[in-house]
Amino acid sequence: MVGITNALNVVADVTNTSGLLAVVSPVDEKRAEPDLAPIFDDVRAFYARPDIPLPFRIAALDPRYLGDIWQATRRAFDDNRLSRKLKESLAFAVSVTSRSSFGTAFHGGEMRRLGVGTAGILEVLGVTQMFSSYTKIADTLHLDPDMAHMAPIDPSPAPGCP
Amino acid sequence: MPTVRLRDAEEYPVAARALFELSKAWFGHEFSEPPAMSRVMAWDAEFGGPHGRAMKRAMADGEFNRAEKEMVAAVVSGVNACHY
Repeated sequence: MVGITNALNVVADVTNTSGLLAVVSPVDEKRAEPDLAPIFDDVRAFYARPDIPLPFRIAALDPRYLGDIWQATRRAFDDNRLSRKLKESLAFAVSVTSRSSFGTAFHGGEMRRLGVGTAGILEVLGVTQMFSSYTKIADTLHLDPDMAHMAPIDPSPAPGCP
Repeated sequence: MPTVRLRDAEEYPVAARALFELSKAWFGHEFSEPPAMSRVMAWDAEFGGPHGRAMKRAMADGEFNRAEKEMVAAVVSGVNACHY
C-alpha cells in the first residue's frame, strides 16, 4: 500500500507541477478506447466518482500497463485484514510525509468519503507530524534502534500467502 | 553510532527521570535502560515534556485507536527511511 501510493503520487505530482504534459497527454476518459472502458468503469465504481484520477489516465496510455497497475492498486486498497478506511488514512499519511499534493488531496478526500471526520483527519495529521519530528531527531543523532524487542516477531504469513 | 553521548538514566535529575517512568507506562514494557529517544527527549525537560504530551495526545484513542495510529507512525517512519 505504501509502495503503490507513492507510485501513483509521483506520476500525478510530476504531471501537475512539471513539463510532463509537454511530453505526454493523459488519456481523455470520454474518448477512451474500448479496451479501457471496463477498467475505467471499475475505477469509477471503486472510488464512487465520475472522473478517472490523473495517474490512471497517464497509465492508460498503455492499456495493459493500466490493467496491471489498477489491479495492484485495487488489491492493495480493498478491504482485507485492514479496512479500506484505514488504508486510505495510511496513504494520506504517506502522501503528507512525501509532500505529495495529489496524494494528500486524493486520499484525504477518500478518507472523508469513507466516513472519517475532521477530527479523524487531524488525528492522522497529528501522528504524521509527531513522527516526522521523532524520525528526524533519531536520524540526526544517528540513534541505534533499541525498541524492536518490545514485541515478539509474528511468524504468521501475510494475508493471501500460504 | 549516535553523534552525541547519551546519558545513562541515573545521570538525569530526578524530575527528568519521571519521564522515563512515563515511558515504561506508555509502552507497557520494563526497559532495562530507557530507550535512546526517551533519554534524548529528557535532556531538556522543558522541551521533552510538552513534546511527549503532544505525542500522547496525538496517539490517544479517538476516531482511530492506538494500534491504527501506530501503523500511521510506522508508515511515516518508513517513508522517512528512519532506521530507528
